[in-house]
Amino acid sequence: MLLEMRDIRKSFSGVQVLRGVDFSLKAGEIHALVGHNGAGKSTLMKVLGGNYADYDGEVRLDGEEVRLGAPRDALQRGVAIIYQDFSLVPDLTVAENIALGREPRGRLSGTIAYGRLRDRSKQEAERLGIALPMDMPVRRLGVGAQQMTEIVRACSQDVRILVMDEPTARLAPAERELLFATMRRMAAEQQVGIVYISHFLDEVRRLADRITIMRDGAVVETGAGSSYTVDSLAKLLVGHEIVASLRPTQAGGAADGAREALNVRGLSIHGRPPIDLSIRRGEIVGLAGLVGSGRTRFARALIGDVRSAGRVEVGGRLMKRRNPERATRYGLVLTPEDRKASGLALTSSVEANIVASALGKLLATAGIVHPGSRARMALDMIQRFAIRPPARKKIVGQLSGGNAQKVLLARAVASRPKVMVLDQPTAGVDIGAKAELHNQIRLAAQQGAGILVISDDLDELLDLSDRIVVMTAGAMSGSFRKAELTRASLLANMSRLPGRA
Amino acid sequence: MTPVDGDSAAIRREKAAWRWASLSTYALAIIFVLLLIGFCLWVPHFATWANFANVLQRNSIIGIVACGMLLMIVTGGFDLSVGAVGAMSSVVAAALIVQVSMPLGIVAALLLGLAVGVVNGFFIAKIGINPFVTTLATQVLVTGFLFVGTAAQPVYGVPESFTVLGLGRIGPIPIPTIIFAAVATVTWAILRFTTLGHYIYIVGGNKTAARLAGINVDRVILTTYALGGLFAAIAGVVLLGQTNIGQPASAADWPLTAIAAVVVGGVPLSGGVGQVWSAVLGTLLLGVIANALNLIGVSPFWQPAVTGAVILVAVGLDSYQRKQRELR
Repeated sequence: MLLEMRDIRKSFSGVQVLRGVDFSLKAGEIHALVGHNGAGKSTLMKVLGGNYADYDGEVRLDGEEVRLGAPRDALQRGVAIIYQDFSLVPDLTVAENIALGREPRGRLSGTIAYGRLRDRSKQEAERLGIALPMDMPVRRLGVGAQQMTEIVRACSQDVRILVMDEPTARLAPAERELLFATMRRMAAEQQVGIVYISHFLDEVRRLADRITIMRDGAVVETGAGSSYTVDSLAKLLVGHEIVASLRPTQAGGAADGAREALNVRGLSIHGRPPIDLSIRRGEIVGLAGLVGSGRTRFARALIGDVRSAGRVEVGGRLMKRRNPERATRYGLVLTPEDRKASGLALTSSVEANIVASALGKLLATAGIVHPGSRARMALDMIQRFAIRPPARKKIVGQLSGGNAQKVLLARAVASRPKVMVLDQPTAGVDIGAKAELHNQIRLAAQQGAGILVISDDLDELLDLSDRIVVMTAGAMSGSFRKAELTRASLLANMSRLPGRA
Repeated sequence: MTPVDGDSAAIRREKAAWRWASLSTYALAIIFVLLLIGFCLWVPHFATWANFANVLQRNSIIGIVACGMLLMIVTGGFDLSVGAVGAMSSVVAAALIVQVSMPLGIVAALLLGLAVGVVNGFFIAKIGINPFVTTLATQVLVTGFLFVGTAAQPVYGVPESFTVLGLGRIGPIPIPTIIFAAVATVTWAILRFTTLGHYIYIVGGNKTAARLAGINVDRVILTTYALGGLFAAIAGVVLLGQTNIGQPASAADWPLTAIAAVVVGGVPLSGGVGQVWSAVLGTLLLGVIANALNLIGVSPFWQPAVTGAVILVAVGLDSYQRKQRELR
């Protein structure tokens, strides 16, 4: 056995994330690791990569016990990990990226022998059967070729174990097939053991010799890839089925025939398949999809931050020339997914952030802010959303995640929108704040807004939505009434590649 | 550690940080007052109204420029072309006053300054060149045109009466200082009472967030550079009032001195925060120190060195505090 991990345990500040995991890998094997977000896959692989010195349990390579205390330990023993986000230098060439950190020295000290560097990188790629334009800056490569560059770099040292974390999330179908062929060849010819993490269940089924399913920090089972179906995998991933709690229908106020809040016809981004979507007033629609399925781009396209063709009507009014400023005026607002990077002005006060979208529309005449109106609105929203501490002058960067998220939602609500698009509205907030945010979202719907919720949290989608639409690879691939769905069936729908339903 | 302990510790830390923050807010004002008292006690001829009026009159011009600079710094940028714009404004005003009329000279100078600001804003906001490169280019461009247009010769002949604007007083207060106060008040009102002022902070804090929240980020940035250009042109006209000569080679030190004043006032170049009083106080602090050195007979050549040291100490203390706070 190439790799054996036994009874691996790891805690973060008292919370056990890995609860005694066993995992093994044979030379020449492709072993898929699947599990829902937070199941512990990435943590397990980080233990293997030597990122955590304080794990419990035993790791054996070729039967010999090793202690992986630092990334260097793992690298020296031939463990290479390719993470989801590339770590390439965009302006260096492919050859230079492959040789990064181990450039052949020239005759003069401090110089690099570029000729040898290029030849060696080329050889290393050819050994893996990968053809790459060696002299092209990585910036100009497609995502697939960048992925291949990463692989060549990772495998340039004597690699025996290659870990790939969601390598296909951003790849086109043809690039995906090329990657699979490369992986199979590396396994067969070089006897590399490959650990493959993916959310695409049918892809996993076709590719992997074995599949290990993880849930809540433990292994559910390991079995031969061919012995599973997409549906059986989905069931194992989510565990015992919790029936989605049905909330009273009047709560959403989404009686049939209610007026349309949002009507999208033929919205197409960069020639991708056109998307239709309609949301009634008072209706909450969930948007499900895997990472990379294009949900966030769709949301940004709606408000005109990403260019797109097609028609968007808000409250029956056609939006001409879409951009975020006009969208806000029409009553279509977005709360972005990453509240720190693109949601809030962290150096500004709670008040300044809350009124940011409403100010021009509701609180000012000819550019002059009505005296006192800003503070009144901020205090109203602080009270309504129970923001802690209840201080309008508090700098947003000093708030907890849950309270910062409340400020973001309050900003959207304060502008009295007809449609709110909420991208991951409760990501990384505690359970209490999550419940409060959910109540506020429902309240906004009751008051007549149409709401589109994007979330990775399936329970949240099932709990909150009247209806769920699914996106895969940039296209709307399904729409379901909530009663038709279970967690497993929703996940199965998200995990099918388009055209392979 | 139990979560409860963690919470109360976090709250205690926060309160401590709050106290630090409010202390450092007033630290500069306190230092300024202490310096004033010290200079009054130990520097001969410092504590006279004639000297104060002199300090005010000399530093009002840089103060006017600093107000515009503040707006641009809060959005996360700055403007290196304010010196060239000031020189242009005083030369154009001088030429038109001599050849046509005083009101036309002043109006044209101000409009030209506004126009250069709009050009800066256009290239920064719409085209996406960074502020350093854009305003460096316009600075050189404007200076170049100015030298071509004047053949590098000063413009003489402005009537003596025009010096009222630069050297006159209303009661005991120099007129440039009144103009400075007016510009500072307008800047304060913009930041305090208008949507533009509100957006300036949000844009400086997070451009992406501002855009997605429906704020027209380009327009906000363009407007701040336009105001910066306008204020620099006002300063140029006041300069003409002091010298009575349209000097194309003047004002070269404005951009860095104005940035220094704002920064010494405690405004970080990273944007998102900053108040008018910081620009005012920073200007006066640098001015008062220069004046005191002058009075105790230190060679004026020492002045830039002292300014440099003041920047390092003032900004260094503030930044170090911030860094320690982040490390906790």
